[in-house]
Amino acid sequence: MSKGKSDVHKKSEVLQGTLDLMILKTLHAIGPLHGFGIARRLEQLSKQVLRLNEGTVYTSLLRLQQEGWIAAAWGASENNRKAKFYSITKSGLKQLARETEDWERISGVIGRVLRLAGQKS
Amino acid sequence: MIGRRLLKVWTRIRATVLDRARDPEFQTEIEEHVRLLSERYRGQGMTAEAAMLAARRQFGNTTLLEEDRRSLQTFPAIESVRADLTYAVRMLRKNRGFAAAAVVTLALGIGANTAIFSVCNAVLFKPLPYAEPSRIVTLWERQGDGTLSTVAPANFVDWRDASRSFTGMAAVRASSFTSSFILGGQSEASRLAGGQVSSSFFSVLGVRFVLGRNFLSEEDWPGNNRVAILSYAAWRERFGADRDIVGKAITLNDDSYTVVGVLPTGFQFGSTAADFQARSQADIWVPLALDLQRLQRGTHPLRVIARLAPDVTLAQAQAELDVIAANMARLYPADNRDKGIAAVSLLERVTATVRAPLEMLLGAVGLVLLIACANVANLLLSRAAARQTEMAVRVALGASRGRLARQLLTESLLLAAIGGTAGFLFALAVTGALASHLPPDLSRAAGMAGDMRMLVFTAVISLATGTLFGLGPLFGNGRTSAGESLKQSHRVAGASHSRLRNGLAVAQISIAIILLIGAGLMAKSFWALTRVAPGFRSDGILTARLSLPRSRYPDNRTIAAFERELLATLSRKPGAQSAGLTTYLPLSGLDNGWSFVIEGRPPLPVGMYNMAKYRPASAGYFETLGIPLLRGRSFAPADTADSPWVTVINDSMAREYWGGQDPIGRRLQFGSDTWRTVIGVVGDVRHEGLDEETKPEMYVPMEQAPNTESSPTIVIRTALDTGAAAAELREAVAAIDRAMPVDQIETMEQLVSGSVAQPRFRMVILAAFSMLALVMASIGIYGVMNYLVIQRTREFGIRVSMGATRGDVLRLVLGRAAALIGAGTCVGLVGSVGLVRLIAKLLFGTAPLDPLTFAAAPALLAAVALAASYLPAWRATRVDPVVALRYE
Repeated sequence: MSKGKSDVHKKSEVLQGTLDLMILKTLHAIGPLHGFGIARRLEQLSKQVLRLNEGTVYTSLLRLQQEGWIAAAWGASENNRKAKFYSITKSGLKQLARETEDWERISGVIGRVLRLAGQKS
Repeated sequence: MIGRRLLKVWTRIRATVLDRARDPEFQTEIEEHVRLLSERYRGQGMTAEAAMLAARRQFGNTTLLEEDRRSLQTFPAIESVRADLTYAVRMLRKNRGFAAAAVVTLALGIGANTAIFSVCNAVLFKPLPYAEPSRIVTLWERQGDGTLSTVAPANFVDWRDASRSFTGMAAVRASSFTSSFILGGQSEASRLAGGQVSSSFFSVLGVRFVLGRNFLSEEDWPGNNRVAILSYAAWRERFGADRDIVGKAITLNDDSYTVVGVLPTGFQFGSTAADFQARSQADIWVPLALDLQRLQRGTHPLRVIARLAPDVTLAQAQAELDVIAANMARLYPADNRDKGIAAVSLLERVTATVRAPLEMLLGAVGLVLLIACANVANLLLSRAAARQTEMAVRVALGASRGRLARQLLTESLLLAAIGGTAGFLFALAVTGALASHLPPDLSRAAGMAGDMRMLVFTAVISLATGTLFGLGPLFGNGRTSAGESLKQSHRVAGASHSRLRNGLAVAQISIAIILLIGAGLMAKSFWALTRVAPGFRSDGILTARLSLPRSRYPDNRTIAAFERELLATLSRKPGAQSAGLTTYLPLSGLDNGWSFVIEGRPPLPVGMYNMAKYRPASAGYFETLGIPLLRGRSFAPADTADSPWVTVINDSMAREYWGGQDPIGRRLQFGSDTWRTVIGVVGDVRHEGLDEETKPEMYVPMEQAPNTESSPTIVIRTALDTGAAAAELREAVAAIDRAMPVDQIETMEQLVSGSVAQPRFRMVILAAFSMLALVMASIGIYGVMNYLVIQRTREFGIRVSMGATRGDVLRLVLGRAAALIGAGTCVGLVGSVGLVRLIAKLLFGTAPLDPLTFAAAPALLAAVALAASYLPAWRATRVDPVVALRYE
């Protein structure tokens, strides 16, 4: 029973990592945003391809905060309500650079592998 | 980086400890998000409800999100321990009777252990109050037969000059603590206990002075030795803590001494455990000042200590000493033939006599704790039986076995922690009470108080006991499957349970038997000790020490004149029925011996001596102490320095040296003395202790003593109480010499009682432990029988309905109890036979396998345990068959 549970956890972990990267990039590109804003931006970019429970954004934000890659501060939203704004930190920028590089390298490798497999068949 | 890590861990710990079930900020953030989403859906034309629903669907499960947050921000492991603890506390609150029983049992067990541990800690483990105490050794002359004796001055000087293994070697006069100095120049004359030491004594011990300095090496020489070092207590009490005392002159025995230093508070010296009582400590120290021109090898008045040089082991030092001893045997065969030198670590020497009794008590109290553990394990098993359904439900709901085990262990450890805390407080109370009732040789424990070691010890044994008794229910419970237990429901289950409980009861009984037998043996040997005839009467005898300053009483003639006058004065008083004087009172710890030759016997081979204890005594001494005269006459006032020299010997000496012949009229000589005629034979006296063999003794009249006896002890037979008799004595002394101190006033009964204080102490403690064990084991067997009766209620109902009488049921239950008690007794007896060998050395006049004790202990235990089983058995006979059959 406990084995099954950990499998589920691993799967979400992978997803979480991708989500983390997307959030970091969003904050880097647009600047400080609140959780709702981030969810909207992701929705817009993924063009409905990626459907996600928007709650998971908050888990991701908590994690990123704990790693110290983003910082949070209370501010006023567009319609003047209290909202928590997240912004990327210095170490977050470094992490983003690292992850982007990793991502590109891995996706490059995977792409090449897939093309190779296509030629053979 | 590290800073941030730490911060992260800290925030997690904080969140864990604060345990915020919900983070309000996080909550608002989420609600705001959902509200914005639903507003968007409303904008698309949905109804309010539909929009809210859609928004929630898009956001996902908020409860899961909250859980994610908690596991991210706290430590889940600690969280679950917390939950277990909360649950455990709730369980204990719900079962107050159970909790109280367990905590009291544990508190008694752990408390008793902690108390005994702190005594052992103070006496055995605590370092002696010197710098690097483990490097300090004592050196002894070893006789051919292996006995160790104090050292001759010339030998000490030779050892010191020849050895390379030590950074320093020093001597202290063996009778130091009993030699007196009369402190003059103050309003009232008082006696100070003085020590005489070689100049390096305090530097070997590594003492730092509060004021002033150590002795200088030139102060070792006669003529330069009018200097003194004060103990801290003497400095405060006699000199008002005068900070300018160093350099001042004080009057000791009518001579002027210069104070050169003050010792630190807490400085103590001794070479046996009993030396470490406040009354045995010296008030003042002066140089030994050995006359190097006239050093002797024939008398042995010195105790020698030395500090091992760095990197030298005790064995290496011993090897060097062996070589030195061999050289000295060759150089001085008359005195040193067949003699060795023994190096013994000071701590080992100091703990030698108390180690065995304390280890026995530590072992015994450990057994008490085992019984306590078994009791609590039994209680937990009963609880576990009652909670079987609960556990089954938890298993059915998916709790893993490990999870349940953790829960149970948490509960046990919580119990142990509460019991340990109560036990620690109990131990503090017990040690406080014990501190004032310690026998002299445990006096190093007098200052014991709750300290870190004691606390750590309590924590460790609490943890160990918690784990130990916590394991019981785990084994009992481990094999139950969920479905089985749920089906069985209220029928109390588990053969493995019963077997475990029975095993625990048998173990408890066997341990209780061992403790009872140990206590019985100690009690019997104490009884034997008190039945020993000491050889003197102790009721109605007052003793006191006098100190005659050399300046006014330079020799035995002047001393004897004073003594005669004192005895005459006393005889005119109504209180004193008779009185006498001696220098070495029985059981006072004071002693001396001399070698002697008998007229007309061939000389003994070189290195062999006739040895006898030597005691100056006045006329009236034997009569006052009731020491029987067996032959001849005792001392009379007419035995003076000018009359023929005489001696009275004891029965042992008469038998050992004259066999069946009459010794009266024979002559002997000791020291460089003139010949003395034996005029009488008196009964033997237990001089060193009630459990010590009597030795040959020779008495001489005070006036004919070879040494100047300046500190005699007076014994008075009186019908008055101690206070009145002491007052009368002081009056009589003051009437003759106003400036003479009278102190160490004690009754002979106090001396006798003090001499058996240690055996009494261990007997009382062991008896208390065995009673505790008896009670706990009885509670244990009560619990088991009670459980058995509940378990078999239905069966008894059926039996009764089938025609069994109450007597049958009673016999059935008691038979079961008897079987357990019998099994436990057998195991206990076998164990005892093995263990009594360990305490054989502590017994006196009692065989280790004393049949009376080995019969009485099981009988007592069987009676008490059967009585404890009777209540559940009686309850079994009251079972109403109708009720019992409807019991499910």
